[in-house]
Amino acid sequence: MPDAPSAAPGLYLHVPFCSSICPYCDFSVMHAASPARQSFVARLVAEVALAAPTWRDPRPFDTVYFGGGTPSQLRPDELVRVLDACRAQLALAAPSPWIFLEANPEDVTKDACAEWRRLGVRTLSLGVQSFSDETLRFLGRRHSAREGSEAVETALAAGFDTVSIDLIFGQRGQTTEDWRRDLAAAVALEPQHLSCYQLTIHPRTRFGVQAKHGQLSELPEEDQAALFELTHRFLSDAGWPAYEVSNFARGPAHQSRHNRKYWDHTPYLGLGPSAHSLAAADAHSPARRWWNERGTPRWDKRLAAGERPIEAQELLAAKDLAEETLLLGLRTTAGIDLDGFRARYGADLLAANRTLVARLVDEGRVDVRTGPEGGRRLVPTLSGLAVADGLAAAFDVSLPN
Amino acid sequence: MDHIRNFCIIAHIDHGKSTLADRLIQRCGAVEDREFRDQILDSMDLERERGITIKANTVTLPYTAKDGKTYELNLIDTPGHVDFSHEVRRSLMSCEGALLVVDASQGVEAQTLANLYLAVELGLTVVPVINKIDLPSADVDRVMEEIDRDLGLDAFASIKVSAKQGTGIDDLLEAIVTELPAPKGDPQAPVRALLFDAQYDAYRGAVLLVRFFDGTLAAGTRVRLMHSDAEHKVEEVGNQRLKRVPVPKLSAGEVGYVLAGMKSLAGLAIGDTLTEAERPAAEPVPGYREAKPVVFSSIYPMATDDYEDLTKAMEKLKLNDAALIYEKDSSAALGFGFRCGFLGLLHLDVVQERLEREYDLSLILSAPSVRYRIVLNDDKEVWIDNPSFYPDPSQIKEAYEPYIKATIMTPERYLGVVMELCRERRGVETSYNYLAAGRMEVVSQLPLAEVLFDFYDRLKSITQGYGSFDYELLDYRLGDMVKVDILVNGEKVDALSQLVHREFARPRALRYCERLAKKIPRQQFKIAIQGAIGGQIIARTTINPFRKDVTAKCYGGDISRKRKLLEKQKEGKRKMKMVGAVEIPQAAFVAVLRTEDDEDEE
Repeated sequence: MPDAPSAAPGLYLHVPFCSSICPYCDFSVMHAASPARQSFVARLVAEVALAAPTWRDPRPFDTVYFGGGTPSQLRPDELVRVLDACRAQLALAAPSPWIFLEANPEDVTKDACAEWRRLGVRTLSLGVQSFSDETLRFLGRRHSAREGSEAVETALAAGFDTVSIDLIFGQRGQTTEDWRRDLAAAVALEPQHLSCYQLTIHPRTRFGVQAKHGQLSELPEEDQAALFELTHRFLSDAGWPAYEVSNFARGPAHQSRHNRKYWDHTPYLGLGPSAHSLAAADAHSPARRWWNERGTPRWDKRLAAGERPIEAQELLAAKDLAEETLLLGLRTTAGIDLDGFRARYGADLLAANRTLVARLVDEGRVDVRTGPEGGRRLVPTLSGLAVADGLAAAFDVSLPN
Repeated sequence: MDHIRNFCIIAHIDHGKSTLADRLIQRCGAVEDREFRDQILDSMDLERERGITIKANTVTLPYTAKDGKTYELNLIDTPGHVDFSHEVRRSLMSCEGALLVVDASQGVEAQTLANLYLAVELGLTVVPVINKIDLPSADVDRVMEEIDRDLGLDAFASIKVSAKQGTGIDDLLEAIVTELPAPKGDPQAPVRALLFDAQYDAYRGAVLLVRFFDGTLAAGTRVRLMHSDAEHKVEEVGNQRLKRVPVPKLSAGEVGYVLAGMKSLAGLAIGDTLTEAERPAAEPVPGYREAKPVVFSSIYPMATDDYEDLTKAMEKLKLNDAALIYEKDSSAALGFGFRCGFLGLLHLDVVQERLEREYDLSLILSAPSVRYRIVLNDDKEVWIDNPSFYPDPSQIKEAYEPYIKATIMTPERYLGVVMELCRERRGVETSYNYLAAGRMEVVSQLPLAEVLFDFYDRLKSITQGYGSFDYELLDYRLGDMVKVDILVNGEKVDALSQLVHREFARPRALRYCERLAKKIPRQQFKIAIQGAIGGQIIARTTINPFRKDVTAKCYGGDISRKRKLLEKQKEGKRKMKMVGAVEIPQAAFVAVLRTEDDEDEE
């Protein structure tokens, strides 16, 4: 059985509400005017109380992430209520965990920032999405390019440890020049962190419906690849090197210490609609992942009935974790710790994939490198990151019995 | 013996032979209407589905004629394909008469002619039957003219029926009794019976279907098969109704079955003569000829784990397909399999489909090959039907390949394209004859190898379905063959090697490369697909790698889904063969080895 990662767990709190639903978004979201909004905080607090006794990991949570949806839809007093409940029921790191808050630019004011700072928010992640009004309209965003810039400036002035900007690229018609302008605008503001997501058209979204009727499509692969490479090269040159497929930071200190838990199997507890949790293996159980009801009404209803709103769970055998280690590791610039992999799963990835690795090194997709601690790592190159999903599928991860 | 009529039905595919047989069976009350399944004689699923008869079946029908007497009508069904012509011959030899079925709208076809000539050669009395007179497109007058002129039969003696609707069946039954001769023979003489078919029964073993020319046979007698020289003790004799019905004895003129405790069909030769061990006949029934395989292919299971199952299936199939020969074979790309010999392409198809359906196996078949005769530098002679064993070119003095005489029937307007097709396929001495107004017969001498590779489909396509084709083996002639290998990222895919005439090596190699390129999914690195003769590259295609294949987001809620997706992908890959770190899906082998051309023309 794999050893439990030694890092402290993270806590994720999903706030599904949005003032309007973006046509590309396939997260669990809900209109802020819906009745479930009224009971939400009470329900979330109730879930904290129900979940706490079942969370057996003794290590204190060192990150708390308010994601959504639009968590900035919660008033500061509501955030306080939730955080107080967490402090009372769960072990949070002392003196304070690193708190992340996702916010929409229209909610970012000097006062709001001050409130959030007081609550302990250290990373403010802003859904700017673009610095082009035309693109913002296409994406169904309610703020303008100018409001986006101002929100970033306000957040930076407020003194958060990390201000992060979310951007979307790759809609039909976007040229590399358009996207370069967006990137330049973002970099000019000097946020500590950037997340640049290629537009993905999901079936259960308005864009998905339009795509089904042929009114919309993702970019051709060649163009996607060009934009992807531009993103990485541009940001790396500018001083924001990638540490994951879509994430860039001005130095390691600003990398998302919460999101990194997802990528290295550090346990996390997720509360709120659709939130996922991972518990490490212990004496009683193999590693386990479970997830909440995706729809807010069902989540609300089950909590109202005094039940935990869990939709399903799965037990993760060593081979599942090994597969995930591969697929997650190949998405990060740090790559996969080959010695750690062998120690944990008893399989030598290189030996089992010798011809493949040789071809991939030839093709410039991966490197086998000696890491800072001396151990060997399988590291994707930029063109490897661009095909990380395919890379993961190409490897043989059979474990010894 | 006067009350016996032995007859068969000769018809082109689709001209309604099986339906007519069904109707005769039904009218004679051999089966209750409610338990009647259409096309009872075609008992294999495959035959039912394709509407062709592969294995001959036989049935004895009691019929009370208008003269008040009850007759025993033995309907000997004949296989409807050129691959099985040896079986057709045996079937015809067992009859005194034949019903020649002609489709009222399509008229006389090539195959009808071939089988008619055979029937006439064997001295059978032929009654023409015009079927499908119910069709709106039926043109009975024209068909009668063709029967008179092309077949040289008395058109006015023809019986007009609609087997589908049952009209004309009574007239036909009367004609069978009045027009066809009764068998002759000496019931007191030593047994002389022709083995014209054999079936396999899971409980009783081999069921020999025989026609008695002389003598009388009952259970307990020791019999001898004259050609294979094997002796057996008869356990049971009887009539082949829809079920087997035992009778005390069978004698001269009769058709029936013999059970003799034989555990399989292996070693049985259709056309052999059955006689008494104690009192053998002086001469066997004439015309025996061994069925020789002419088409060869290797059969591999899609999943290498299924090799055991394939082995068992082959053994079982062999029990009731005496013509199938096979031996163990292995390929680096496809694992263990069997090298098989077939009577022809349809026989190959039939074996493949039976293995897939009856034994639920997924298979890959290598490109069909003919058997070459190679004379080496030291004048030694070798026979090669497997590209893997093709000698090094420097050791070959001369190579010979089999030729066939192909007879193609086509409407006149396609004469040009048919002649061109024969020319493309290295046909020589191609000639043509007018058969009737608008109908031509093209005769060409072709290398059999060129016919194996999508010839029939091309013919159908260029004649818009009107062309038909029949062939017989001629001889071996000098040829210029090369072995073409296919390489994926420099590694040879042995299952794709093939022997080709030098002239066709490059286009064939390119076609293989292109088909492979279409079916091999792009990977994370560039894939080179090459065709080569020895060390010389003669064709090349490249599959460019993915440039972008990664989802943008991967957070807490995405990981399980991604892993499951990955598992599914890997499950798919497990079914692929690895060559030079390239995953080649089974579909790619299937596509490459497919002999038809259709997809390339899309």
